[in-house]
Amino acid sequence: MYTQFFGNFLLSKSAVPADKLVDALERQSSSYLKLGTLAIHAGLLNASQVDAIVCRQTHEDKKFGEIAIEGGYLTKEQVDKLLSSQKPDYLLLGQILIEDGLLTNSQFEELLAEYQASNEIDDLNVANEQNDMVEKLIHKFFHFDNSDMSGKIVAYLNLLFNDIVRFIGKDFTPLNPLMKSEYMTNYCVTQKDEGLLSFNSGVDMSKSVAIAFASRYAKEEFHEFDEYVKASIEDFLNLHNGLFNVNMSNEFSLELNLCPPEVHEEEKLTNATKIYVFPIIFPFGTIHFLMEI
Amino acid sequence: MKLDEAKILIGDDSILARKQLKDIIAQYGGTTFVEAANGQEAIDKFKSDKPDIVFLDIVMPVKDGIAAVKEIRESDPKAVIIIVSSVGTQAQLKNAIEAGAKDFIQKPLNVEQIERVLKNYFEGR
Repeated sequence: MYTQFFGNFLLSKSAVPADKLVDALERQSSSYLKLGTLAIHAGLLNASQVDAIVCRQTHEDKKFGEIAIEGGYLTKEQVDKLLSSQKPDYLLLGQILIEDGLLTNSQFEELLAEYQASNEIDDLNVANEQNDMVEKLIHKFFHFDNSDMSGKIVAYLNLLFNDIVRFIGKDFTPLNPLMKSEYMTNYCVTQKDEGLLSFNSGVDMSKSVAIAFASRYAKEEFHEFDEYVKASIEDFLNLHNGLFNVNMSNEFSLELNLCPPEVHEEEKLTNATKIYVFPIIFPFGTIHFLMEI
Repeated sequence: MKLDEAKILIGDDSILARKQLKDIIAQYGGTTFVEAANGQEAIDKFKSDKPDIVFLDIVMPVKDGIAAVKEIRESDPKAVIIIVSSVGTQAQLKNAIEAGAKDFIQKPLNVEQIERVLKNYFEGR
């Protein structure tokens, strides 16, 4: 199951407020999964059983697993298996939201079941599933008259999500896109792609997020906002756009020309039509991808 | 010629891309590098520093890589220029070869591609 979209799913269900979700997503890297969360996900315990064990934990100085075994909720083998099993990222998000009091265990159980049911595609088919999810997300917001154009923009965003996974990491959650007529940048790099399909793309983030983003992209640890960090952001955008042009050329014989990247620092971007903003949340912070068509 | 005796010009507007390419070539024994941040600077440095091989990006400010290849080859028809770009379309490849580039490396950089190119032009260490 493609875990990046669980956060988006929670928002679409109005299960949690957006600001609380962002806060929880950014705390994922410093949290770890608990046995109760894993047991609910595996279908070995239900929410009320987990609540009962947690309640006993408040007056017995024992671990969750110990009480679960003593109480006959789980066998030792089941506990061992849960602890060694593969753990999807979205479980951690759910758990943080429970700890923050934004969800109860039983609400989480229901949402999880619904999320899994709406994504009944086997795990081997991750690439297709990702594309399906991205397409659904994009189609909710993009209503183009020209369906040919719309296909290419979906292709652009699909490649973007793939390139984010490939060059930065898969531990992100895309939020719903926003449409704006003006956009105030933080540290923003934009790049024009010109030809039969002309557009301006961009990536915007704070300087501290940029340092973390660049460290992942360049596979080097950066500590200050220097020229290497700036170059990393430009490189990522330029590389992604370059690969997009290669795809357009191969698939549609559409030749596009990339212009050199431009920097817009704390500047107001305006567009006669619309600026599409795609917020992506990583544990190290939020990145906004921009598109002007 | 041996790679450790060669002067290598790297033209890319990204300081990170220049460093990454330099680091890889250094692993194979390259020692002497000259850098340029745009096409015009690459032409100027080619004339002043007379490098043995040139690596050029395509998308650069002031003057792009393809235009720089043409001008460098006009001043020295034997110049060995390798294009290093993320835009590896058939059309760009054709433009690069017509302008006089010897080879085309598609970004993201990988060590094998660069090793292949270096082996074509330099003896081992």
